[in-house]
Amino acid sequence: MEEKLIDLGEFNMSDDELFSVVDHDMLASEKITAPRYSYWKSVFRVFFKKKINIIILSLLVVLIAFAYIYPLAIGYDADVDPYINLMNSEAKHLGPKAAMDKFGYNLHWILGSGASGNSTFDALWYGSGISLSLALICAAINMTVGILVGAVWGFSKKVDIFMTEVYNVIANVPYILLISVLVLIMSASFWTMVFALTVTGWLGIAYFIRTQVIIIRDREYNLASRCLGTPIMRIATKNILPFMTSVIVTLLATEIPSYISYEVFLSYIGMGLSDMSLGKLIEAAQVAMTTPGWELEFWAPVAVASIIAVVLYVVGQNLGDASDPRTHM
Amino acid sequence: MTKYLLSRIVRGLISIIIVVLIVMLLIYSCLNKDMIFAQDPTYTKMKSNAREIYKYRQWERYGYLDLVEYSDYLQELLDAGEIDQTTYSEAVLLGIDAGAAYPEYDKYVQQFTEKYESEGYNIEKLQADRAGSKIKDGGNPQLFAQKPIPLAKRAWTYFTGIFTFDNIHKVKEDVGERGLSFTFFDPAYGGEKFSPAIMGNGTQHKYLLYFDSQFPYVHQNFVRINLGASYTVNKGIDVFNTMTDSQGAFKTQMITYPAGLTEESADNLHTAVYAEGSFNDSSSAIIKDRFVDNYTNVGTYKSGFSKVGYSFIIGIISVIMAYVIALPLGMLMARKKDKLIDNLGTIYIVFIIAVPSLAYIFLFKAIGGKFGLPTTFDMTAPTWTMYILPIISLALPSIANLMKWLRRYMIDQMNSDYVKFARSGGLSEGEIFRKHILKNAAIPIVHGIPGSVLGSLVGAIITERVYVVPGAGNLLTNAINAYDNGVIVGVTLFYALLSVVSVMLGDILMSIVDPRISFSTKKGR
Repeated sequence: MEEKLIDLGEFNMSDDELFSVVDHDMLASEKITAPRYSYWKSVFRVFFKKKINIIILSLLVVLIAFAYIYPLAIGYDADVDPYINLMNSEAKHLGPKAAMDKFGYNLHWILGSGASGNSTFDALWYGSGISLSLALICAAINMTVGILVGAVWGFSKKVDIFMTEVYNVIANVPYILLISVLVLIMSASFWTMVFALTVTGWLGIAYFIRTQVIIIRDREYNLASRCLGTPIMRIATKNILPFMTSVIVTLLATEIPSYISYEVFLSYIGMGLSDMSLGKLIEAAQVAMTTPGWELEFWAPVAVASIIAVVLYVVGQNLGDASDPRTHM
Repeated sequence: MTKYLLSRIVRGLISIIIVVLIVMLLIYSCLNKDMIFAQDPTYTKMKSNAREIYKYRQWERYGYLDLVEYSDYLQELLDAGEIDQTTYSEAVLLGIDAGAAYPEYDKYVQQFTEKYESEGYNIEKLQADRAGSKIKDGGNPQLFAQKPIPLAKRAWTYFTGIFTFDNIHKVKEDVGERGLSFTFFDPAYGGEKFSPAIMGNGTQHKYLLYFDSQFPYVHQNFVRINLGASYTVNKGIDVFNTMTDSQGAFKTQMITYPAGLTEESADNLHTAVYAEGSFNDSSSAIIKDRFVDNYTNVGTYKSGFSKVGYSFIIGIISVIMAYVIALPLGMLMARKKDKLIDNLGTIYIVFIIAVPSLAYIFLFKAIGGKFGLPTTFDMTAPTWTMYILPIISLALPSIANLMKWLRRYMIDQMNSDYVKFARSGGLSEGEIFRKHILKNAAIPIVHGIPGSVLGSLVGAIITERVYVVPGAGNLLTNAINAYDNGVIVGVTLFYALLSVVSVMLGDILMSIVDPRISFSTKKGR
């Protein structure tokens, strides 16, 4: 006979008093006892684990502050400030040292003066703000439309046949031609440029997303999900979208710098904005590039455009890496 | 496969046609027609009615509308013998201006109006612009009929005119006995050297087939390709010729003209084209000494390459360089993943992707200039060193791009079952990478090869601008800036054709490299 660990008799209670029957709880049995996992928390945990990311992110914050807050803080007026020294022939094309000797030692003249005696430094940040806004707005519009259309495109085979032909046609219309025609019709304002860059820009992204969706759409887990009767919308949002987050973030990382690069390119060939964007500054300073002593006017906006683009790209890439759940272990 | 290819070609052609239609719609219908005069010095000089009629004449040349002027109509009547010279010259002026006061001339105006109104033209009448009783400068009265060209008609004329076939009835005038003749001894070389040629009389071109020392050595003039004439970029010359004619300084050599004169000249007798009355009606000794018939309109030999030629030389070398350099480097990066070489490569790729292309091309130019390399292209004194910087500027970004994708594809393959199997079978890492992974990872890379080879025909906008290369890259931007509609449409057709062909060739090449890929079954999974 085995020894009893506890003698229930010593409680002097009946079995009914000692025990109660627990019902089978449907809800509780569905719960999985695993550590709590929050996707976005994990993303940022992984992202900030790398010290380099913190440095680059703070650099990005500084750049954005300079591009948006600095012109506001000094009250930069694009219609007046670039031309304050227009009549002063001695104020033009000065190096940093000469400019600071002339105008006093402050931040405005740290990069010297430009072709119309303006402060290169001020123009630089005002232009960065415009270029950055253009890139961010275009990326936002193109990504939103591109992802939505791409998802439908990838899912429906009927839409696929139609959209592939549309893509073949529109991808062959020269982009420069389209942009220049739009600019000529509607004047080279900021919003014209946004329209020109987004009117067909989403198509490439949609095509990319379509290919990704096609790859994932017929995976076994999605087939199983469909067999169990999950509606298409739920498959799209719950099964496929999480899978694509890292792809989308990586895409965003390449898209934003590409708009900055494109804006510079368009300005260079004379089809750019009428506002003093970074591209316009680079285009205007082309002459200065080949003149000894004036090179800074050209290289300063080139350097800033490059730094903004690199920083955005690296942040985006690392965020893309961090948003891949396989790195969350 | 054949069926699939045929349907691909048909769909490709349809999409090219739609592209051209869209472009025509954009430039002819969406743009303001007055825009083309923005930089036209003749237009600004003109005044009053002369300016108006100049506008319509230009629009006709640019292909916006059909224009019939009253004077042309009267000229026709004059040629037909219906009116005499005095009636003609008086009717031109008085008929329009005074109108009913001269009933004998007014009737021609009536006829003109009725004729063209019935054909759907709009009749425009500009009264004389007077200061007092005198007509102002350029204020002569004008009467003309104009009709906008509908898109469908324009497209139809364009597409049917792309190929023109030369034949012996091409020349309308009397040229004696029409026919083709074949000779083994080309008269352009003096008639003694062995060089077969087919010549024609009554044809547009005198030489229909000939050999010479210029690439591609055999030339034909039976079929000409017309992509649309240029108005401003290269006045009167077809886009196709603008792209393929050689440029640079004249290249002279001893030639014997048909009339027997031998002298040093840059004339290329093989390009002789019929020019109406140029010999028969001419009294010029220059013509009479050299030619024996009306085929006097000859081209010239030039020392440089054509626009497409320069672009292609630079493009193709940089493409070859890119593949030769990027494939081993990309392989190495994948093999040494997360090691030093991979990180260095990644930094380079990030640099190329993120920095605006304009910026690094200028950077290369500045660095190259420091090393003493020529930074601008000079056609008159060509050296091979002037090709270096444009080639490098084109190759470095494509190296980065190829490296990025090859690394990605190889790393994706590294965890496949077949690699694990090969490893468990005892194959060395090098062997696995070269023989197994590379073959699978290269399939998407192979797809891009025709695109990059054909793409080098198109040229590069920024590179060619920065290094002043006389290539084809800037043709489109120049045409857009000059509102040269003919060139815009022609270049677009060329681009669309290249892009459709390169995607198709890429698919074919991919299915040759990877027998698993087949296009005969329905696509989709």
